[in-house]
Amino acid sequence: MPKRQIRKLLIANRGEIAIRVIRTARVMGIRTVAVYSEADARSAHVAAADEARPIGPAEAAKSYLNIDAIMGAVRDSGADAVHPGYGFLSERAEFAQAAEEAGIIFVGPPGKVLAQLGDKIAARNLAAAARVPVVPGLEAIEPSAARDFAARIGLPLLVKAAAGGGGRGMRVVESLEGLEAALQAASREANAAFGDGRVFLERYLARPRHIEVQILGDEHGDLVALGERDCSIQRRHQKVIEESPAPGLSDTTRAAMVDAALRLARAAQYVNAGTVEFLVDGEQFYFLEVNTRLQVEHPISEIRFGCDLVAEQLKMAMGQKVRAPGTPRGCAIECRVYAEDARHGFRPATGTVVDLRVPAGPGVRFDTHLVAGAEIGAFYDGLLGKLICSGADREQARGRMLAAFDELAILGVTNTAAFLRDAVASERFARADLSTRFIDELFSDPLRHDQAESDAALIAAALAAQAPVREAENGSRAAATRSPWAELGGFELWRRQ
Amino acid sequence: MKLRVAEEPGEREVELLAREGTHLRARIDGREVSAEFDALAPGGVVTLSIDGRRFRIASARRKDTILVAVGPRTFSFIREEEGSRRRARGLAAAEITAPMPGKVLRILVTEGDAVVAGQALVVLEAMKMETALAAESEAVVKRVLVAPGQMVDHGARLIELSPPTANPSARESGPPGS
Repeated sequence: MPKRQIRKLLIANRGEIAIRVIRTARVMGIRTVAVYSEADARSAHVAAADEARPIGPAEAAKSYLNIDAIMGAVRDSGADAVHPGYGFLSERAEFAQAAEEAGIIFVGPPGKVLAQLGDKIAARNLAAAARVPVVPGLEAIEPSAARDFAARIGLPLLVKAAAGGGGRGMRVVESLEGLEAALQAASREANAAFGDGRVFLERYLARPRHIEVQILGDEHGDLVALGERDCSIQRRHQKVIEESPAPGLSDTTRAAMVDAALRLARAAQYVNAGTVEFLVDGEQFYFLEVNTRLQVEHPISEIRFGCDLVAEQLKMAMGQKVRAPGTPRGCAIECRVYAEDARHGFRPATGTVVDLRVPAGPGVRFDTHLVAGAEIGAFYDGLLGKLICSGADREQARGRMLAAFDELAILGVTNTAAFLRDAVASERFARADLSTRFIDELFSDPLRHDQAESDAALIAAALAAQAPVREAENGSRAAATRSPWAELGGFELWRRQ
Repeated sequence: MKLRVAEEPGEREVELLAREGTHLRARIDGREVSAEFDALAPGGVVTLSIDGRRFRIASARRKDTILVAVGPRTFSFIREEEGSRRRARGLAAAEITAPMPGKVLRILVTEGDAVVAGQALVVLEAMKMETALAAESEAVVKRVLVAPGQMVDHGARLIELSPPTANPSARESGPPGS
């Protein structure tokens, strides 16, 4: 019998992760409450929950980042627990504290743990005290001290936001002349994104891998690790392809990283799900940060360990004891499809999803909030969906990923699906030559032009241009975006010619 | 039919020549291409086979734009005949528009500046990230239409460009740092 029971869970998030959490809650017999901004009133997560509450205007600062509005929705709905998802308020100590003070279960670590680990400078110090290796770095960022540090450690350097995450407020400094401008730009971006402009400097490892350890802890002091994930493939310091296990990592290093992660978690008195991130240079690993929440890429660990991490989070939040994880099996890979234009520096894209084709099959999972007709605006993170494929080994998972991408079509919003397919198909990925420089290196190879594919697109466009459009007849939006392929009569006419 | 790939320089020309049953012949940029199509593939997905490769196709029309997905890759075409946008001679694009709604952070050029292809002209902030918008070809800044701090909508005109001056020394100077 659990110590505390969650009967009604409010999900303080949107998009695919809100739907992901709602699914598990439903399985566990917990009622769900969605929250939504004005921009999201017709979003899929609203429909997925048992009930939904508006929390304010589209701007995230006034809705999904508004602790008062969300706590108001918790009160009004009678929810007894709140799940923060990832991003938004998930790592905000004030939010966890507001829930604790209101007698609401926060599905995550206690506020004081969030406060300590959320400050990247404090987290670094804690890691060093727990004998976890850290990258040489500097907290003070007065221009003169920064220049001295650069002279001592050497270039390039990395500027990071103390409150950061998701690559925001991060800058690589290649030259001393660029140092001050980078510090200012990073601070400005960090201030806009997190309301905290503090930044710090670190040695920039030229071609590291990013490998992280999933941990799970209960309030009784027990901690377990659920293996590692390699998340080296990033653009703008944000992960786009992740896999587990980390290919080519020696068992010795893997075990040392798991030990280090557990040591740090113990020192932090960690409770609930979390991730300890490392940069890995050969067999040398350095602590990067702790993500005090569920990760975007959590499904690849779920698949290998045959567990449901959201269910584990909810059980930990209800005071249950953590269970020893089973033996991991096979390989799982995740590709994050973003509303971005990969051919133009991954610049954000917006639009309406006109048509959506979702892949399926053995070892294929697509976590998304997309539906045909969904509007993708510029207010929030542009993640459209996560394609997760698994197999008995890496080659099987990779093959399934390629086949699944051929079945996926998101029409109407420029997205990174084709880029991800090409990356997974590349020879570099096939031989697991992974580093955080992967995408830059891939783009430096001559771009393959696929003439047959481009011919197919042009022929399809010519056919589509010929199909009758009913826009002129009744002006309705549905007719204007109707697929000509649905007009099978057109094809019949040709056949009779 | 002349098609322009949205946000790419250049034009493509495609003409459907003949169709017999499920067989189709087209001329693409002067080359003849033959394809097999299947309108009743499982799930209603249409496939086109070219050179022995089978592509899954989805397409839709939205205003002047034709959207096509070939597998996971999406294309956005604009019919040139419909003359949706007149293009100044010698310029890849006569204006810089906002690719998404956001805030103008910085303007990096002033009116009358000669710019080169790839040179950043304006920095936008959207989705909490800074995005620099660059000239697609050599040009002269004709007008700056926005100011730092201003919120702009998707498609808003930010900067007008005119063709580069016929000054050979400017042409030879190349991009900075090259």
